[in-house]
Amino acid sequence: MDYKKKPLPPIVGKAGFGLLGIGLVLIILAFAVNTQRAFFDYLWMYMFLVSVGVGSLALVALEYLVGATWSTPFRRISEFLSSLIPVLAILVIPLLFGMHDLFHWTHPETLQNDPILQSKAPYLNVNFFIIRVAIVFAVWLAFYFLFIRNSQRQDNTKDPALTRQSIKLSAVFAILFIITISITAVDWMMSLEYHWYSTMFGVYYFSGTLYVSFAVAAFCAVKLNENGYLSERLSNNHYYSFGAFMFAFNIFWAYIAFSQYMLIWYADIPEETFWVIMRMKGSWAYYSIGLVFVHFIIPFIILLPRSSKVRPGLLTKMAVWFVIAHFYDLYWLIMPTYFKEGFVFGWSELGFMMFAVGLIITVFRIRAAKVNLVPVGDPKLESGLNFHLN
Amino acid sequence: MVSIMIKKLINSLKEYDSKADTEHRSKKLFGLAALYNTPNEIITAAADVAGKGYEKFDVYTPYPMHGMDDAMGMKSSKVGYVSFALGLTGMCLALLMIWWMSSVNYPNIIGGKPFFALPASIPITFEGTVLLTGIATVLGVLILFNQLPKINSPLNDTDFMKRVTSDKFGLVINADDEKFIDADVRKLFLSGGAFEVQEIYYRETNLGIKTPIFDGKFISIIFATAILTAIITYVTLNIVLYDVVPFDWMWNQAKINSQSKSDFFPNKAGMREPVNGTVARGFLPYEYKGMPDSSVKLLSNPLAVSRKVLERGQERFNIYCSPCHGYFGEGDGRMRDQFPKPPSLHNQKVLNWPDGNIFHVITNGQNVMPSYAEQVPVDDRWAIIHYIRALQRSKNASDEDLTKSK
Amino acid sequence: MSFDSTYTRELPLVEAKKSFKEIDEVIALPTETKPTKGWWIAFSISSTALLIGAFCLSLTFYYGIGMWGNNNPVGWAFDIINFVFWIGIGHAGTLISAILFLFRQKWRTGIARFAEAMTIFAVMTAGIFPIIHTGRPWLAGYLLPLPNQNGVWVNFSSPLLWDVFAVSTYFTISFLFWGLGLVPDLATLRDKTTSKIKKTIYSVLSLGWTNSNRNWSNYERAYLILAGISTPLVLSVHTIVSFDFAVSVLPGWHTTIFPPYFVAGAIFSGFGMVSTVLILVRKVFNMEHIITIGHLEKMNKILLATGMMVGYAYGMEFFIAWYSGNTFEQFVFINRAFGPYAWTYWTMVSCNVIFPQLFWFKKVRRSIPITMVLVILVNVGMWFERFVIIVTSLHRDFLPSSWAMYYPTLVDLGLLLGSFGFFFTFLLLFLKTLPLVSISEIKAVVEGAQPTIHPLPGGNGQHHD
Repeated sequence: MDYKKKPLPPIVGKAGFGLLGIGLVLIILAFAVNTQRAFFDYLWMYMFLVSVGVGSLALVALEYLVGATWSTPFRRISEFLSSLIPVLAILVIPLLFGMHDLFHWTHPETLQNDPILQSKAPYLNVNFFIIRVAIVFAVWLAFYFLFIRNSQRQDNTKDPALTRQSIKLSAVFAILFIITISITAVDWMMSLEYHWYSTMFGVYYFSGTLYVSFAVAAFCAVKLNENGYLSERLSNNHYYSFGAFMFAFNIFWAYIAFSQYMLIWYADIPEETFWVIMRMKGSWAYYSIGLVFVHFIIPFIILLPRSSKVRPGLLTKMAVWFVIAHFYDLYWLIMPTYFKEGFVFGWSELGFMMFAVGLIITVFRIRAAKVNLVPVGDPKLESGLNFHLN
Repeated sequence: MVSIMIKKLINSLKEYDSKADTEHRSKKLFGLAALYNTPNEIITAAADVAGKGYEKFDVYTPYPMHGMDDAMGMKSSKVGYVSFALGLTGMCLALLMIWWMSSVNYPNIIGGKPFFALPASIPITFEGTVLLTGIATVLGVLILFNQLPKINSPLNDTDFMKRVTSDKFGLVINADDEKFIDADVRKLFLSGGAFEVQEIYYRETNLGIKTPIFDGKFISIIFATAILTAIITYVTLNIVLYDVVPFDWMWNQAKINSQSKSDFFPNKAGMREPVNGTVARGFLPYEYKGMPDSSVKLLSNPLAVSRKVLERGQERFNIYCSPCHGYFGEGDGRMRDQFPKPPSLHNQKVLNWPDGNIFHVITNGQNVMPSYAEQVPVDDRWAIIHYIRALQRSKNASDEDLTKSK
Repeated sequence: MSFDSTYTRELPLVEAKKSFKEIDEVIALPTETKPTKGWWIAFSISSTALLIGAFCLSLTFYYGIGMWGNNNPVGWAFDIINFVFWIGIGHAGTLISAILFLFRQKWRTGIARFAEAMTIFAVMTAGIFPIIHTGRPWLAGYLLPLPNQNGVWVNFSSPLLWDVFAVSTYFTISFLFWGLGLVPDLATLRDKTTSKIKKTIYSVLSLGWTNSNRNWSNYERAYLILAGISTPLVLSVHTIVSFDFAVSVLPGWHTTIFPPYFVAGAIFSGFGMVSTVLILVRKVFNMEHIITIGHLEKMNKILLATGMMVGYAYGMEFFIAWYSGNTFEQFVFINRAFGPYAWTYWTMVSCNVIFPQLFWFKKVRRSIPITMVLVILVNVGMWFERFVIIVTSLHRDFLPSSWAMYYPTLVDLGLLLGSFGFFFTFLLLFLKTLPLVSISEIKAVVEGAQPTIHPLPGGNGQHHD
């Protein structure tokens, strides 16, 4: 294909740095004012970045695994986004120092008086927790480097064997991804309320990662293509696929969320319901109802008609909406442990959000400056560009 | 007999099977049909015909062909609107049904849940939505949009149709199109690469006014089938299966009913007698059973008055005594006019009776009143007596009682 | 197509390029010829099984469900196991016809029709069990919210009622989907047959379909919509089946992962059954060029993937049971793995998770005998999964004084056999009477079937590719 690399406009870099800078200042202030709240906010931001970074890597693997071609021209976008993983490996370190503030189960006095917690101690202890975090990052980093290396090497060599290798890698990564993302969800979010348990929780977080990482990819893809950074041959057929998948992932999340809620509501066992009741207390009740609308119903109605799945302007707006909805969802999962009486959204939370968005933009820009925006050497690219719905 | 009938049937079927289709075509032209060999030829020809301004034409392909809608200048299909509208209807109807049935018409507390709870209603609402959407889509596309079934279309049973349902691509321009001129159309077809042009004539049945669905024979067959089905159903359900295990509503059960005969026991009685010298709980024998009042040493009420005892007494009184004595013991029970009216329990005689005397009457019966010893256990009898005393007092309350109760 | 198909997993859809006429011939052949000896043997086996099932069912009706092995703690047993098993089998059909359609996986065309038919027969088989489980199935009308002389309505908060709605909706929609797809094919058969009786039947059933493009246009949109609603429908059905168990408070039943876990298991078992039957069918009806080894390989990959999902759920359940710190939860899982029914648990784990790991090897995926063995094991494993979930959770719950073992009776086994007979009898009749591959769909994906130019009315042809 005839691809000419263009540098991204400087405004992108400025916006990224700007958000990153303001976010950083607010984060430092937040830690100075209220360390525990800041750590909870930090965890919230961290989980969001994991969703985007690791979710994007999963999307890359998914494309190889199922042999999709329509997404090949956009694969670089997800690859760039997955470059958050090395950054996350650094970002997680401060969080490990905040474990005492975040997790009640780390407190020795809690452990002493709680027989249920004692029975979980072989899993929920600080050492094993850190070992798990290390293993999880080892997996993510290893596959990140392998996928990116293969893909970038192909730009010059155009060697189809690399694709074949990535297909094999993707089968292995698919399994490890599900396991590592479940461990991450259980460790960082479920254990905030260490008495609570739900077998669905890993799948719940997994559905959120797909939801948001796909939306971010769709946002970048549409914006880049509308401004002529990708290829003229990308058309409504591709946009429709983005819209349809966003729609589908939204339904998948709703399905998982509904199933989990309904089963807890119906069985009405106190061990499980207290977690939901925490989210029904005070203003959290409105927040929880809002989750249903913000995360599912409104995007569902907007994306339902066929015509709205091909409108680039609407797609980017919905992608931004999805990002906010995922923030909203993670806030719902994490924050009730800290804000017990009702939800609070202040400058501190805003700072962490700005930092997260700024980081994504910056990482994307740095990677986009060096690497082609389209995998020009991929043997599937031609068929991806020619993709037609029927 | 049967075998001859079957043979006859088979023969007539065979005969029908081998009979050629003899339907006549009229002289009226339906349209001109062209056959093409390749997808590219047909799609170009279709675009050509549409470009020339023909409106009543159609393309016939063995499978849906990509890009043909655009080539023919067709608008995109509207099936989705019907599906959406009916889907929404299905959703609303299902929710309305659940809400009305479970919280308005027949509210029942189940598992401590609210009468109408959204989480529990979602599964059925979803199924209702999908069901109506699906049915609307299929019926919509077939009947509303494609106007099927239409078995006697002039195109059916032609050589043209035989080719386009198999391996060739066809194009038909209807004769009633405004721009239809025989020679022009032929030229257009042949210049586009058609290897064959056919004339399609209307069937004679297409032109007749008679609608086959109003055919007398057809209607009488439908009627006969309906009546036969109704008779068979009625006979099967109400006569044949009426008393047959297992469709007998569990009338016949593998157990011995009371008062019935049993071959299992030596005395041939299904019921068992109590073991000698035993007494059932609550049925201690009454010493003065069957004796006249005068010879009885009256018992005194062993129960202390309490709210519980009085409520029990009221309940039992209302069940066993009130049919004759009435709810207030005035002898105006529901059985009046069908059974001799008992005297009021508020007369001086009963007011003066000690408790033991009333107990004796309940246990033994009096005049036409039978014994209630079988139905009412001893303690219940005493409870009833307390209740009767309460009734009596309420009927004969003094001013003192009123002030006391304040 | 210029790219090497290895990277995209797109295979030539029809091996050994065939003309449209040849496709007609191959697909219509079974409907036009007298049944072969092989078919008769298969048919007599399946109808014998059906008769045995019918006999056992009559016994059940006459004497009541006391003929079954169900006892006090184990109130649900073979009846519900078979229900869940068969309804799960059905899911592969909808998955192939709807989800793969939405994902534009063109390889589905070779097997979609057959799989859809399987769905319908599997749902019919499944539907028998909850109804006979009620004890007096002729009163099953009371399962529907119909006005009645007692003035009562059904219990809308019961998952068992949701089942009634889910299964009947699922059957209706699958049937419509299948029927809509059959209409153009029946039109082809109508114009192909020389017998007048067949022609009359095909004419009526094809509704006078003419292959008109104005009809195709609506048809394709309707097909897309049906695929779009069938996809969430198929998920909802097994989700609701899982609710039957998961809304209770019984350890081993109440766990939040049940909905997606059941769906994955259903697809897994369904693909197992589709593969089992397809391997035989393609051989018997000489359809190796249309139902290719590539199809089987793809299905094996899906089996591997869904097997792993099921394995994830087994692992997660076990882990959370321990993690919960709830002794009842822990006991149930220990009892499953090491209690009196441990053998069923390990059968399930090995057939569903361990053996399918062989599908990692391309040689295994493309070897028909090994595939055959493995897919049969998948069927066995998935049946035992339901046994494990239902029986082991019930037979030892909170109250040790009422623990008991469950043993099936001959009638139970006869009904299980009969369910297979019922399913396969219908399937064999389908194979001889209707086109088992969609003729119009397969023609549309043959090389050279689609135009390479896309002209607009009056405009010149625009080339692409």
